[in-house]
Order: sequence, then structure tokens, then C-alpha cells
Amino acid sequence: MRELGRILSRRRLALGLMAILLLNGLLFAREQREKDYGLDLELPSAGGIVSFDGSFTVTREPVDAWAARQRYSEWLDLVRGMPLADAVAFLNDEKTMISERLTGDNENDKLDFVAVNNILSKTDYLTGYGDWLENIQKNKENLLTFSLFNDPNSFSGRNILKTADEFEKLRGVELSIGADGAVEAFMTFPLTDYFLALMLLLIGLSFLEERKAGLWSVVHAAPRGRLRLAARRAAILLGASVAGVILLYGTDLVLGFYIYGGAEDLGRAVQSVETLGKLTMLTTVGGFLARYFLLRIASAFLVGLLLWLMLTAINNVKYTIIVAAGVLAVEYSLYTFLPVQSAFNILKYFNLFTYISLSDIYTNYLNIDVFSYPLGIRSISQLALVPLCLLLTGVCLFVHCRKKPAAGRDLLGRVAYKLNGVTDRGLRHLRLFGMELHKTLWIQKGAVIAALLVYVAFGLSYTVSIPVASATEQMAKQYTAEFAGPITDGAFARMDAEQKELDAAETAYEDARAAFDAGLIEYPELDRYNREAASAQIKSEGLKKVRARAEELRDKGAAEGFAPWLIDETPFESVYGEQAEYAQREAALVAVLALTLLLAGSMAYERQSGVTYLLKSTARGRGALVLRKLLLAAVMTTVVWAVVYGLEVYTLLTKFTVPAFCATAKNISMLSEFPFNCSVAGWLAMLYACRWLALFCGGVIVLFISNFARRLEVAYIASCGVMLLPSLLYAYVGIRVFRPLAILLPVEAMPLLTAANGALFAVLPWVAALISLAALAALRLFAPRRRPPAPGKSSPEGRAAEL
Amino acid sequence: MKLELIGLTKKYGNFTALDHVNITFTEGIYGILGANGAGKSTMMNLLTDNIPRTEGQILFDGTDILKLGRDFRRVLGYMPQQQGYYEHMTAQTFLYYMADLKAIPKKRAKEEIDKLLEITNLTDVRHKKLGGYSGGMKQRVLLAQALLGDPKVVILDEPTAGLDPKERIRIRNFIADLSRERIILLATHIVSDIESISDEILMMKRGRVVGLDRPDKLIEHVAQEVRESVVPGHFSLEDVYLYYLGE
Repeated sequence: MRELGRILSRRRLALGLMAILLLNGLLFAREQREKDYGLDLELPSAGGIVSFDGSFTVTREPVDAWAARQRYSEWLDLVRGMPLADAVAFLNDEKTMISERLTGDNENDKLDFVAVNNILSKTDYLTGYGDWLENIQKNKENLLTFSLFNDPNSFSGRNILKTADEFEKLRGVELSIGADGAVEAFMTFPLTDYFLALMLLLIGLSFLEERKAGLWSVVHAAPRGRLRLAARRAAILLGASVAGVILLYGTDLVLGFYIYGGAEDLGRAVQSVETLGKLTMLTTVGGFLARYFLLRIASAFLVGLLLWLMLTAINNVKYTIIVAAGVLAVEYSLYTFLPVQSAFNILKYFNLFTYISLSDIYTNYLNIDVFSYPLGIRSISQLALVPLCLLLTGVCLFVHCRKKPAAGRDLLGRVAYKLNGVTDRGLRHLRLFGMELHKTLWIQKGAVIAALLVYVAFGLSYTVSIPVASATEQMAKQYTAEFAGPITDGAFARMDAEQKELDAAETAYEDARAAFDAGLIEYPELDRYNREAASAQIKSEGLKKVRARAEELRDKGAAEGFAPWLIDETPFESVYGEQAEYAQREAALVAVLALTLLLAGSMAYERQSGVTYLLKSTARGRGALVLRKLLLAAVMTTVVWAVVYGLEVYTLLTKFTVPAFCATAKNISMLSEFPFNCSVAGWLAMLYACRWLALFCGGVIVLFISNFARRLEVAYIASCGVMLLPSLLYAYVGIRVFRPLAILLPVEAMPLLTAANGALFAVLPWVAALISLAALAALRLFAPRRRPPAPGKSSPEGRAAEL
Repeated sequence: MKLELIGLTKKYGNFTALDHVNITFTEGIYGILGANGAGKSTMMNLLTDNIPRTEGQILFDGTDILKLGRDFRRVLGYMPQQQGYYEHMTAQTFLYYMADLKAIPKKRAKEEIDKLLEITNLTDVRHKKLGGYSGGMKQRVLLAQALLGDPKVVILDEPTAGLDPKERIRIRNFIADLSRERIILLATHIVSDIESISDEILMMKRGRVVGLDRPDKLIEHVAQEVRESVVPGHFSLEDVYLYYLGE
């Protein structure tokens, strides 16, 4: 028990495990929200409007995903327990009725439509399952007629027969409708698998602590330091597997049931859940989950043992981690990139990652060729679990007992020494700033954070769709795009010409109507005129809106002294508009987090290493070194800024026409109240300069916090706390009192640069405060310049010390 | 070259760590002896301006070191008592980094680093990470960095702490061989470390200087004052230590 106590008392480990648990829950919930809770929220188009190129339709304002999820559950309650055919008929009738009501913008109708439509999609799978099973049997008959497959002694022939036999058992299984969301989400959230592996890796690393502390010889020489300690560690690993699986997967399942409901539907056949449709097991959803949890625990234990074995097999902790990382990389590559058809596909499925991503073997059906016999990957993996666990436990105990602390030749050490020689040759040419960069990127693993930043930044969504409420509005947007450019008399003339054409269509309809009344034309011809006139009317309304906007800009330009310009604002709005606020906030959050993690260790690393006094006793160890640290903060800020906002600018450039960048910013509606005249490009330059400045100020504050931390983890926690917590509490929880402390706002910079005159001055003090704070922090980072006290007199510091 | 401490005082709250110390150091090796807590490290930290002084002055060639600032640190070589080092850096990279901090030109730095690694017997392990070094090896790296840039004032705070006898003798001899055209302050509480190499010995007790003279003079003085020596009939610096610093 003392070994368990020792492990649990490690602050870093405890923090890491808690962070994993928290992150897992948060990311699971976030993924559900991002996937619109598994619902297709699409609504039928308002229909019938013909565009210039005959392609556009008017989209409706999308429904709220959470409200749709709740409505889905309500409809599900109505049909739960009904025979499937009755439920389908009932839902189809309801869908027809709701579709008829959907012409207006009634939110309830939209929610009902989405709910019913999604349940019907589910029923498609349920009603088609019998046919799908039937097809497998038919396929067997068909395939066996080909000479290529009909050899009963070949893998292909045996595989066809085995597949058909296994699915034959499912014939007659009764599928029923129910809430599947929780199980679907539970089975298709791979991050939990990797969080569990990470948790086990952290536990495995904690077993190496005596090596790091130089106590291995002492422990190895102790009477209970070999077999008994190893057995306890194996038991701890098993306990960690049980706890890890229950906590991590339990969180997913409980959150899933909270979001989707369905705890009462666990008695249905497991194949009722579409993700598990290929499972050839006759059991209920609940039965499957219980079995899955047990197998998950066994597979976690196996993964834990494998990691432990890799970590204990090599004496040097550092090389151990490198080798373990190499093995994991090879296994992952085989698991991910080896084709299913490969002759070596056994390596793909009999793989560490098969046990990490266990759900894959339940959501897919696959037999692999083992000496011409088809063996199911699920069966192999399941059957091998217990023997492998026992075998590996034995091997781990053996290695732990037999491994000597004082090993012989250190081959890896020699290789590392040679490699260090090569890097030393490069490093000796670096100047002070280069070394600071090396310390940040290499020693403090900043390169990993930078790589993660790039990965996350590419996953960010920089644009949002701007819904168009009516056909007229859509037409106005199209005309704006067509007439975009300087608003001149020529532009008005072109609009007038267009207007004339549209009026002609209406006149033509009037003429056709008269002709129809006179019996000169048939109804279909009149109808064509009618549709053309209706279309022309909508276009005409759109064009009038554009003209009104052009006139407004012309007058405003004349009054305020800027050149009026008609701009297609949709790309601008989709990137910087009010509706893109969430995307803007996420980008700012990523930027602040990355910068914090990159810089938090910078000063704390010196203190943790105990070199502060040594550095300060050198000629350049004060001002010059701090200056380099600030320069480093500027470079890191630029990197983070360029990655996050470079992608944003690139997104804008792909949609926003280049000439419009020269137009005055006030021509854009959201910037109409901007206090002075500048071009759109100028406004963008200000926006991104503000963002850079806010990020840099944040970076300096992080350096300041880091300067007070004696340990790296304290620096990371304190910096993240100061930089992110107020922002998260304000922006995501909605506690307004944290607004002045939320650095996300100045980093977003939108409230500052889109503000009307009064608001601009209201925001300026916060910006000034941030810059002042950063300046003070920067000044404090430089060692205080002390004046020599007069002989016999105490210095100010001395007096303070005496007090 | 002169380093003067005039009325140098350091207080931590009510505790006086250094109490009106007046000394003038000129070229030569000064052994600073004192028990733990005598104020040796405080004096070292004041000399390197790593802690603020409460009172007094430290003058280098007549100018306060705080006024000299970077110019004083240019001629300073410091080896702290605590083993501070970057465990993920190799000895060579660490020395190049320190050379850059000491504003030593690259070409000169290479020559000096090669020479110092040779002297401290670290050439064969120069590409090994400092985290993998033994305590003695780390001490030698720290000593090497202190001597980078041919400093005029060398402050060595417990340079032989934690070393085995062989390494201690090696480092002691190396310090003894250093050019006498510099001020070397060597703080320790191990008498044998400084007995044979110091030009003068400074005895410190509870923040005060209780004795300062050449080793032979100190021994002579103690021999006149006391009758019994540690080794009967032979007075050594240990007797001086016990005389001045013993209870």
C-alpha cells in the first residue's frame, strides 16, 4: 500500500490524472456540440426561386442544436414501443404535415421537422437491416459461383462461408427504435482511448521514479524491492486500469445518457444501434456495454503492462522514453497505414493500438487470413487478452527482478554522446538569443507545443455561414457582388439599366395576362411569364436595396469625406462579423494558450535549475539576458500570431476581392461608425497589429509570472490561471466581473476596432492598462538597479530588510 | 588592483548576517574560513550583487561595484555554493552559453573552453548532458565557467564541497596554479583546502571578521596563545580554526 501511497502523493501525477479526466469530459461534451448532437439540422429550402445562374436556394435560419436534441427525445418518446412499421407510417404522416406548415419561420415547426426527419433516418436503418442480412446470404451464393471463390479450402471460400454463417445467427433478431446517441457517442470518441493510454503511461513512468532519484540500487537491494514490489506494481496497474476505465468511459457514458437519454433503452438488441450493426453477437445493448467495460479493463491492463515492460527494459530513463516512443510510433504506423489487404495485416490487428482503440473491433467486421483460415479480428483480440495479460505480467515481474541497476555497456549512451557532439557543434555558433530559442523550443519542448498549435490552428473554423433570411436579401447580396466597386454615376447607370430589364419582365407578364384573357396564349405560357415576373419582382426588390445602400454610402461619403464603395460584405462578415464571435474567441483562446505554454517556463527554468545567481553575476546576465527573453517573447508572439491569424487572413483572401481592400473601411456596415477614415487594408493592419500587441503584452506578463515561480509546473499552472481562467470564466461561463481581466478581449480586438466613437474611448483604458501592466512587468524583469548607499547609511533595500 | 569592503552590513530582518565588515583584498588567494552560517556566502552574494546590501560599500579600484555594474561583472568569475546548472545541456554547450553571457568573443571562447575542459579533466565527457554528471564533475564544470574570460576577481564559494579527496586535491592544485595577478576569494569550511594555497586567511564568525593574516602568522599567534594543539607538538591551521571559531 505504501507504493500506492507514494504514487498517489506525487503532485505532478495527481494533477496530470485530474487534468486528463477533466479534459476528457470537456472534449467529449464539446464534440457532441460540434456534431450537432448527432442530428442532421438541415431544413428543406424555401424553394422555387430562380437565380441569375439558376442555382441558389434560400436557406433558412438554422435551428438550435440543443433544442432540436430535446425535441428529438420528445418525439422518440412518442414512438418508443410502437411496432416499427407503425412508427414509420406515423412519422411519415407527421413529416408531411410539418413540411406543409414549414412555409413560415415558426421555430417549433422547424424543431419538429428536424426531430422527425432524424428519427425517420434511424428507422431507415432499422427497417433495412433484415434485407441487409438477406443480402449477405445472397452474396454468399453469388460469390461461390465464381471459380475464384468457390474453393472451400482457400481463405476466400472459407471467409465467405464463415461470414454468412455468423450473420445467419442474427436472422430474426428484433430491432427496435430507441435513443442510441449515448452509445453511438461512447463508441466513436477515440480520444478517451488515448487518454486512458496516457493515464497508464503516467502510472508506468511513476514506477521509474527511484531510477530518476538515484535510488534504484537501494530499492533493488532491499528485501522487498524485487518480486514483492513488482507484484504490487502489477496490482497497482490493474487497479489503475479498472479505475481509469470506470472514470474515463463512465464519464463518457454518463454524459452521453445526460445529453441523449437512452438509459431505459439498454434492453434492446445490440444491433439496434447502427454503429454496432456489424456485431455478430446476440445480446442486448446493456449486455454489450457490460462486456465491453470488462474487455476494456483487460485491454487497458495489457496496454499498461506493455508500457511498463518497455519502460523497465532499459536502464536509462531518458533512453527508455525514447525507445518507448519509437515502439509506439511503429505500432501506430502499422495500425494506421498498413492496408487491410496486406499479407502482414496480422500486424495491423494484433497490435498495441487495437487494444487501445478497442471499439474499432466491435464496429467493424473483418476476418484475417491465418494459414488460409479466416479468423475474426474480434475473436483473436478477445481470446488473446487473458493469456497475453498473464504472460506479460510474468515477463514484467521477471524483468523487474532480473534487471540490474548497475548495467554493463551503455550502447544507447554512446550513440547519444555522438549525437550530442553533432548538436554541440551547431549550438556553439549560437548567440545568446539563439540559445534562449534553443532552451525554449528544445529543452522545454516548445517545439511540441508549436507543432500542436499548427495542428489545432488548421482545425479551427475561421468563418461562419451567414444565414440569409429571405429571397430578397439573397438577391441583394448577389447584386452587391455584381456591382461591387466604386460608387460612381456609371454604377448607378448600370443599376438603372438592370432595373429596366426587370421592369420589362413585369410588363411582359402584364401583356401576357392580357393576351391570355384574350385567348391568344395558353395557360402554360402565361405561367412561364408569371414565374419570370415573380422572379423579376424579387430581383427588383433586391436591386432596390442595393441602390438604396449605394445612395446612402454616396451621401455618407460626401458628408464624411471618403470615397463611397459598394462592397460584398459577406466574406468580411463571415470572418469578423458578430456571428463569427465564437470562432474569433476560439482562435484567440488557442493563441493565448499556445503563447502561455511556450513562455511560462522561460524564467522558471533558470530558477528551477538554480542558475539565477550565476547568470546575474555575468556581464550580460541581467539587462542583455532579459532583453533576449523579451525578444524571445516577441518572436514567439509573432509565430503564434502568424499561425493562428495567418490562416484567418488566408481564409479572408480566398473570398474577399483584392480591390475592396483599398476601399474606405466605413463602406462596410459593421465599420460604419469607425472614428476615422482608413482603408479596409489599413483597418485590417490595425486589427492584426492590436492582436499582436495584446498577445505580446500577455507574453510579457507570462514572463513576469514565470520569474516568480521556483518550479516549472508552478509557472505553467500560475500562468495558465492568470492568462486563461478570467477569460474562460467571462467568455464561456458568463461571469461578467472577470471581463476586465479577460485577455481574450484585447486579443480578439474586435470590440475595440468595431466600436462606435463612445465605445472606443470606453475600451481604450483597458488597452492602456494592459500595455502599462506589460511595461511594468518588463521593467520588473530587469534586475533593479541599485544605487550604492552612502558610507554609514542604510540603503532603501537595507532599511526594508531591517523592518 | 584593490577590492575594498567598507562597513559592509547585511541584515535579514533582525538577524545580522554580516556586521560592518572592513577588509581590503589585493592580488592573491584569500581563504575564507568559517562555520556554516558565519556569513561567507552572504559576503559572496554581496560581492556579486545578487542580494542588496543593508549598509556599507564595496569598492573595486576605488569605485563602487554598483556604479561599475556590468564593467565589474566583466572582470568577475563566480562559482556559487549551490550546484546550479542546466541538466539538459552538455558541458560544452553550457560553457559556450556562459562565455556568451560573459561577453567573450567566440574565437577566444573556443580556445578557453578547450583549455579549461582539459584542465578540469572533462574533455572526454564534454558532450555528455550535465544531468548525467557526478557531483564532482558538476563542480568542475562550475569551476571552469567561473574561470572563463580570465577574470580578475574570482569568487569561489565552497568549490570542493562534495568532492572526493582526489578531486579536491586536483582542484586545489589548479587554484594554486592560477596566476597571482588576480584576487581569488575561496570560501570554505574545510581547513585543508586552503592551508597550503592561501596567501591570507580570513576567519569569519557570526557575520564578523575575527582574524585576517598569513597562515604562518596566524599559526604562530595561536601557538603563543594556547598550549595544546590538535596534534601534540605541531600547530596547524586546524588549531587556528578551533581557536578563532570554536565555541
